[in-house]
Order: sequence, then structure tokens, then C-alpha cells
Amino acid sequence: MASLSLQHINKTYSNGYEAVKDFNLEIEDKEFIIFVGPSGCGKSTTLRMVAGLEDISSGTLLIDGKKMNDVEPKDRDIAMVFQNYALYPHMTVYDNMAFGLKLRKVPKDQIDKMVKEAARILDLEKLLDRKPKALSGGQRQRVAMGRAIVREPKVFLMDEPLSNLDAKLRVQMRIEISKLHQRLGSTIIYVTHDQTEAMTLGTRIVVMKDGIVQQVDSPSVLYSQPANKFVAGFIGSPQMNFLDGQVVQNGGEIQFKVENYALTIPSSKASVLKDKGYVGKKVTLGIRPEDIYDSQVFLESSPGSVMESTIKVYELLGAEVYLYFDLGDAQITARVDPRTAAKSGDPIKFALDMEKAHFFDSETEMSIVN
Amino acid sequence: MTIHRTLEKSLNRWKEISGLDFALIAPDGKEYVNTGSRKLPSSQNLEEFLSQTAISKASGNLHYFKIYQQEELSCLLLVWGKGVSSHTIGELAVCQIEELTDACQQRLDKNTYMQNLLLGNYTPIDAYNRAKKLRIAHQCPRAVLLVQTKKSRDEAALSMVKNLFTARTGHYITSTDDDTIIVVKELSPGESLDSLENTAITLVDMINTEIMTQAWVGYGNTADDLNQLPQSYQEAQTALTIGRIFYSGQTTFSYDRLGIGSLIYQLPMPICEKFIKETFQGESLDSLDDETYTIIRTFFENDLNLSETARQLYVHRNTLVYRFEKIQKKYGLDLRTFKDALTFQLAMMVNNYIEYRNSADS
Repeated sequence: MASLSLQHINKTYSNGYEAVKDFNLEIEDKEFIIFVGPSGCGKSTTLRMVAGLEDISSGTLLIDGKKMNDVEPKDRDIAMVFQNYALYPHMTVYDNMAFGLKLRKVPKDQIDKMVKEAARILDLEKLLDRKPKALSGGQRQRVAMGRAIVREPKVFLMDEPLSNLDAKLRVQMRIEISKLHQRLGSTIIYVTHDQTEAMTLGTRIVVMKDGIVQQVDSPSVLYSQPANKFVAGFIGSPQMNFLDGQVVQNGGEIQFKVENYALTIPSSKASVLKDKGYVGKKVTLGIRPEDIYDSQVFLESSPGSVMESTIKVYELLGAEVYLYFDLGDAQITARVDPRTAAKSGDPIKFALDMEKAHFFDSETEMSIVN
Repeated sequence: MTIHRTLEKSLNRWKEISGLDFALIAPDGKEYVNTGSRKLPSSQNLEEFLSQTAISKASGNLHYFKIYQQEELSCLLLVWGKGVSSHTIGELAVCQIEELTDACQQRLDKNTYMQNLLLGNYTPIDAYNRAKKLRIAHQCPRAVLLVQTKKSRDEAALSMVKNLFTARTGHYITSTDDDTIIVVKELSPGESLDSLENTAITLVDMINTEIMTQAWVGYGNTADDLNQLPQSYQEAQTALTIGRIFYSGQTTFSYDRLGIGSLIYQLPMPICEKFIKETFQGESLDSLDDETYTIIRTFFENDLNLSETARQLYVHRNTLVYRFEKIQKKYGLDLRTFKDALTFQLAMMVNNYIEYRNSADS
């Protein structure tokens, strides 16, 4: 069993800098939790507090119900995999994995058993006699993971373990880590700045910014119901488009006014905006690239959200096309069918799927409708 | 002179003084020195003695002694002579041999050479000559990294660092006190301060994950020849000290990137105390409550943007304005202006430094 409870965790350094503010999270046994956010958001600091490598300024950390605030890292039954690892150059794979256990004076026969088991899990059995220089990048990464697995910890803590790998290897190793989680059945806390990694790996994702938790949810909920503008813009690639405008009432219809356009807001969203007193107020509309259409069929079925612009950049990615154009000061990205006839420099008529639109308060940036 | 030649010379002198014969042999029976060309005991007798836990034994007129170097059996001393006094002479000889062996080993030990070099224990010519004897390249780009862990005298961390950097690759691992591991790293062509930063980060991450303890690394500028290494060592020490006082959120510190902390560190204490007194007009920074501290911190982190600070702290803009007016009334500093914000920020750093010096002195 390895459940964790982080209760009102704060981290303030001696120079007054507050890296983590009131962090609360319950992690169930066997969960794969991701901490994601931009550089400096406090995700690594939080992980290091769980590890015991940073002191907790205030709050309580429990692992399986036991308070861990003052427990040394080596006594917390955890193992870590960090971004910048190095293999001992003159040792074999076996010795690299065994070294940490030797330092802890684990008996030889037990070390042998643990190393061989970890090697079996990571498919390294045939490489145990090799030295690091004879290994590929992916194999070295697996040896680094092996060093953590041999400790047989309750919780794995991983801090951007794939960041130093090239893009292709990163994708490969992501799959390996996912399989590892299933095989080991352990609790994993994984830190990354890469939202794609977060969305593909985690059962739940904690989005952080400036030391504060923005939202904790499953990948699909984060994507479809972001709690604020930051989460909406951070999760999803390409990024969500944002248009600043105003909610107006035009007869019986609630509309979103932006530039010279008045977009019809669907009744389910309109009623929420009206009830919360946003008519006449400035709001930000968010729309994902895949919810912008240039097809004739869609344009005809959504006359209330049709706008015009000129395509600045056309990018063909094989299975999809990205179109980049401006609307006033906002740069818009649309993901459209690769069969589109649109090209750079062409005028474009496009429509937003307003059922999928998000609305954010201009001041607080909190989601209004979600 | 090799160690065996030295020992041969010493054993012959002891024979002249004591009248006893001595022989120095390897555990497998191979003879190094035999002052009287005496017949050595059979291999069976030697093996019997080796298998015993006793470090010495007397068998008739022959006395056996085990000699250790760094806790490992290195050779055996045989002394021919009657009575207890012969055995005592043998024991004294063992002490001398162990000391001589250590001294010779030390002279040949590259890591010890580096240690003495960094501490400035050699003159430039002495350093050059010893390096030549030890086949250490005089002109070679190197850098000094200092590693500190949470626990002093962390043998596990030292062992880990040694295994990462082996002597064969031109790196040296040593220490001058219980708290710090010194890495003298030979740089490959094209390696720069940025790559040193990567090395430092790797060291920290490795100690975190393998030894499971906190670590900090400071490093100085590169040294192109051996005589510049002591300066690189001093710079690494300075980087580590200043970094841990002023940049507590970091774990790696470069001498070249110490910023304003470096300036403040060199200020005499009376000047620091005068500055604090002037800035806060006699008031103490300790009288600031946590909430106000949080407001000031967040305000500085948001580049003096009131609206963004209010949004992050979930307070009204006017509440912040009121708070800053209160601070201005108390300290005479309007933190909404760049000049006063800078003064306040500097004062907080100086205050931290004073606290550090007071706790270090007490």
C-alpha cells in the first residue's frame, strides 16, 4: 500500500521566496499522478518535499497514514529517477544497479536477487555484463530506472526523466514507463513541463503555476473543462485560442462581440453567463484549434459564428493541416482537414463550434461556464 | 626509490642495531627482502598462520607478523631471534614498516598531491616537480567542483563521487575537511562553464537519487595550468558559501554568477548594520507579519504589478494599496516605486546575511 496525503504544504525559502503555496492532494495507492506546469511553478519543489530533499516549511505529508515531515529520505521507502543521471562508467549494468544497495550494506545474495528481478522487468537481462559505453540511450535510461526499481520502494518519484532524450526516444520511453507502471503496480509521482507527456501518462494531473495548484483532474476533464485560462492554454497542443470581447444581449439572444462580429452563444452557456451577471461585461472566449472549421458544410450550419480573415501560414503535418491567421490582435490557429483547399495568403471564412467554446472572466481568468 | 628498496634499507639497519635477521614476504610466499638469506618457512606453515585471526605468532626462534595497508593484508614480516624481546622488536618493526609504506604511498598518491596543491602547500616549482613525478599534466584545462551533503563525512557520497570520476580519466577526488568533497575535473576540448553547470546538476541529482540526501555544488572558473587550481578552489568555496546564504532555492552555484550576493558578502558587518538601520529607520524587519511578507514577495515576483499581485492573492487591489501605504508609513519606503522596491529587496538580502553571520558566530 502506498497512499500519500499532502495537507496544506508550503515551501518558503530563507530569502522569503514562496515556491509552493497551500498544496493539498490525496494520492491513492497505485495512482500515476503527474505534476505539470511551466518552469519555476513549484512542481519539482513539491516532489522534492515528498522525497525529503527539501524541508516542508509548513503543512503535513503522510505516506500510508504516517507523518513523514521529519523522516530522512532513505527511510521513506521511496526511490527517485531524476533528469540528470549518470551511469558509473567503469561498472557493468549489474554493478550500476547494485551499487546503491551495496552502499546500504544489503547482503550479497539479496542484491543479486533484486538486480536480476529488476533486469527482468526492464528487459536488461542480456545486458547485465555490458559497460555503459556499449549501451544505447534507451538502454541507459532503463538502467537508471533499474537503480530505482531495485530499491523496491512504495513510491517512485520521477522528475523530468525523459527531458534529456531526443524526441523519438522520449516517445519510446514514455511507453516503457507506462508499461512499467502496469507491471510494478506502484504509486508514481511524475513531474514534467511537457503537457503531452502529462496527458498520455497520468491517471490524474496536477496543473501548477507560481507555486499554486490550478486544477487536479483526469486528462480528459482537464482538456474539456479547464478551470481557468491558464489551464486551458497550457493543456492541449496547439494551444487554445483566446479572443477578448464582450457579452451583449441583442434582443432575446446573448452574443459575444469581438472585432466587428457578434457570435451567437448557445443557450446552455448563455444562461450561465446571464445568471452570473456577465451581460455587458468583458470576457475572454477560448476555442481549441480543432473546434474551428473552414468547411462549407460547417459554415452553412453555423451562420452565427462565421468570421473572415487572411491565412498567414499554412502547415501540412500529414494527417492534419494547421492554418494561422489573425483576428484583430489575436493570432488564431485552426486545425483543419488536410483536404482543405486553403493556402497561405488566401482569404478564409471560418466558424467556431460555439458549443465547445469556453468563457473566462477577464479579471480573475477563472472559467465562467465550467 | 621504490618502497621495497626503502624497506630493504631499513631492515638492514635494524639488523645492524638488533643483531636479528628479518625477511619481508608477500602472502603467497614471494620474497621481497631477506637480510640473512634465511630459509623461509614452508608454504604449509605460512598458510596456517594466514588462516589464523592472530596478527602475530612465535614458533620457536621464528616470529611471524602480519602487515596491513589500508586495512588489507599487504605482506608478512619474519623475525629470527630468541625470546620475548625479539617478538617486541618485531612488533616495533611492523609499526615502522606500516608507517613507511603509508608515507611512500602518500608521496605517490595523486589525490593527496591535489589536496596539498589546492591548499597551497607547494611552491610553484615543487608543484611542477611533483606533478612531473606523478605524471600529472601541468598544462591542462581543469575546474574545481566542491560538493557538500547534508551529513558531514558522508562516506557513501564520497564513494559514489569517486566511482563517477575515476583517476584513469584525469579526474581527482579528494577532500580537505569533513564537510566537502573536492572534484578536480579535467575538461575536454570545448567544455565550458555551461557544461560544468551540467556536471554540477548531475552530481546533485545522483547524490539525491543514489545516496538519498541533499547536496549542493559550487564551482570556480577553469584553470589552464596546475598553479591556477588553488584559485579555482577558492572560487568554488566562495560560490558555495555565498550561494547557500543568498540563493537558498538553488543547489548549484557558479562563482561567475553570484550576482549581488557576492557584493553583499564582502561588506563589513558594521556597514551592513548601518544600512539596515538607515533603510528601516530604526524599525526591525522582524516586525513584518507573514501575510505582509507574502504580499511583498508576490508583488516583487510579479514585477511590481499591483493587479496581477491582487489576482494571485485573491485580494482586492485597494487592499494591497492600503497595505503598501502602511509599509510606507512604517519604513518610509513606497514599494510601488522601483527605487524603493530595490532598496527594500537589497535590505532583505543584507538582513539575511546578518542573520547568517550571527548564527555562524554563535
